[in-house]
Amino acid sequence: MTTTSTKQVPRLDEMTRSELIQYLKDTVKPEEGMIPSYIFSHPKVYELEMEKIFLKDWLFVAHKSEIPNIGDFVTREMGGQSVIVTHGADGEIHVLLNVCTHRGMKLCRMDNGNQKNFTCPYHGFNFKNTGDLIGIPFQKVVYGETMDKSKMGLKEIRHDVYADLIFATLNSEAVSLEEFLGDIKWYLDLAFNRAEMEVVGLPQKWNVDGTWKLGSDNTISDSYHTLVSHGSIAKLGLVPTGDYSKYGYQIYTGNGHGLNLGMPNPDGFAFPESLIDEYKERLNEDQYDILKQMKNMIVCVSPNIMILISSMDLKGQKISHTSLRIWKPTGPDSMEISSWMLVEKNATEEWKRLSEQAFTLTFGASGIFEQDDTENFTDITQNSKSPYHLHENIVFNYTMGMHQEPVEDFVGPGIVYKDKFNEANSRAFFRNWLDQITAE
Amino acid sequence: MHEDIILQHEIEQWLYKESELLDQLNFDGWYELLSEEISYTMPLRINQMEKSKPDYSEATLLFDDDSTTLKLRIDRMKTDMAWAELPPSRTRRNVSNVKIKEVSENEVAVHSNLLLYRSRSTDTTADLISGERKDVLRKENGDWKLVSRWFLADQTSLGTRNLAIFV
Repeated sequence: MTTTSTKQVPRLDEMTRSELIQYLKDTVKPEEGMIPSYIFSHPKVYELEMEKIFLKDWLFVAHKSEIPNIGDFVTREMGGQSVIVTHGADGEIHVLLNVCTHRGMKLCRMDNGNQKNFTCPYHGFNFKNTGDLIGIPFQKVVYGETMDKSKMGLKEIRHDVYADLIFATLNSEAVSLEEFLGDIKWYLDLAFNRAEMEVVGLPQKWNVDGTWKLGSDNTISDSYHTLVSHGSIAKLGLVPTGDYSKYGYQIYTGNGHGLNLGMPNPDGFAFPESLIDEYKERLNEDQYDILKQMKNMIVCVSPNIMILISSMDLKGQKISHTSLRIWKPTGPDSMEISSWMLVEKNATEEWKRLSEQAFTLTFGASGIFEQDDTENFTDITQNSKSPYHLHENIVFNYTMGMHQEPVEDFVGPGIVYKDKFNEANSRAFFRNWLDQITAE
Repeated sequence: MHEDIILQHEIEQWLYKESELLDQLNFDGWYELLSEEISYTMPLRINQMEKSKPDYSEATLLFDDDSTTLKLRIDRMKTDMAWAELPPSRTRRNVSNVKIKEVSENEVAVHSNLLLYRSRSTDTTADLISGERKDVLRKENGDWKLVSRWFLADQTSLGTRNLAIFV
């Protein structure tokens, strides 16, 4: 005797677009703390993300200090598209599509440099660092009078700057950067407006077989994992044991952005004391008060930015470091991590040196905090690829802290929970994500 | 000439021994080979226009260690929570093109190539870390000790999930 199961495996590949969107709406239930596993690696979900998030949102491309002089440039990627971020001859910042307007060749293949012009390696079309097309080999001969160079400049990508962070968007209809960032700006000030900040060198880059979403999820909400994932650090005595990562606030500021603020700092002020006047001048009183008490701050700017301020004792000195990274998707189940280290420009050389060393030791590609996270990202992504997960609709439990109520007595903006062991921010992140990818 | 060949042999054997200790996860044994003054750095490889310019940045370091921080990394590995290497990667260090660049009374500067094969867990694809080493070895109490290591990888974006290993 044979039994026939009536249960159908959901075939996402065969669904129409609207069926897929409906399926996502039916299965992803952020408010109930139910996030299905398949969304962490399914190619059809990834396609929607690329189109509805990475081609639509504001994305981080560079920090202003990376291109201080006229002619300076860096190449970056957004939504799988290479762009050149230049400090143009006109003194302005330009974000230019790194695509020759003649035949689509990648114009610049360098990570950074200083150039007046970019010459296409294919036919030699020559563009200024403002994007204007200024030269075509044998123009008169090959085009006569038919070529209007003014219509063939590099495509300029819409961009704007907040706290020296250059954001760009491939979406001409996007809301303003101000509106997109909203209340997270108050906290970005703490990271990048507290003093004049500068990037050290260039970003480190490395590749992980894990989905970008796990990076953002881990950033926005998950202080809880530090107990176990980073348990080795407590065992070495670099951080106190047990619930050290619990104290502080979890804050959601809207549009998928939020943070975890670790405070108070039992060891005292974690920033260079010589810059207190600069901090006070640039921050308002409430912000400075938070800075004074801050132990660490982990910020997620949706979709894929992580900003980290961390402090530790290194060689008998209290030292903090500040970094920014992007979890750049390179496929449904893979990402490239790019990580920028920043320091206060006016700090002493000794302080900068120790801050850099603290960052490299803990959160760079070799970082002793960092490296354990990639095991989680890799294995979760691998597990989620099994058809069994889709078949049985295996869901991850995101209900932590659902019994908690937000507090009203915190000075900064946002929906604020006391203590950081909570998954409220993840629920809000995935609600925002779902709304974005299911938008018609 | 005879002395050169002996020195070349001695230094090569030292590098092979070092690789063996690391591949066998004998980190304490490896630490014994390091001078207290060890400087262990890894600059960032970058894509640069000018051919004359070095195509790396010392401003960004992927390792920036001394004997204190290297000890910390090793001690971490001994906790049962160093997940990045649980189970440990299988590594195979291939050291080649060993060139002694400078010799003084008790120091040698030696350049070599490193091809590091890394297999993680059940992965069937392997990570390859290839690059150049510039080391300085010093004779301390009759033994060669590593005073500085400078490692430059050939990839600008590393094809490995982390640097939970030594180079």
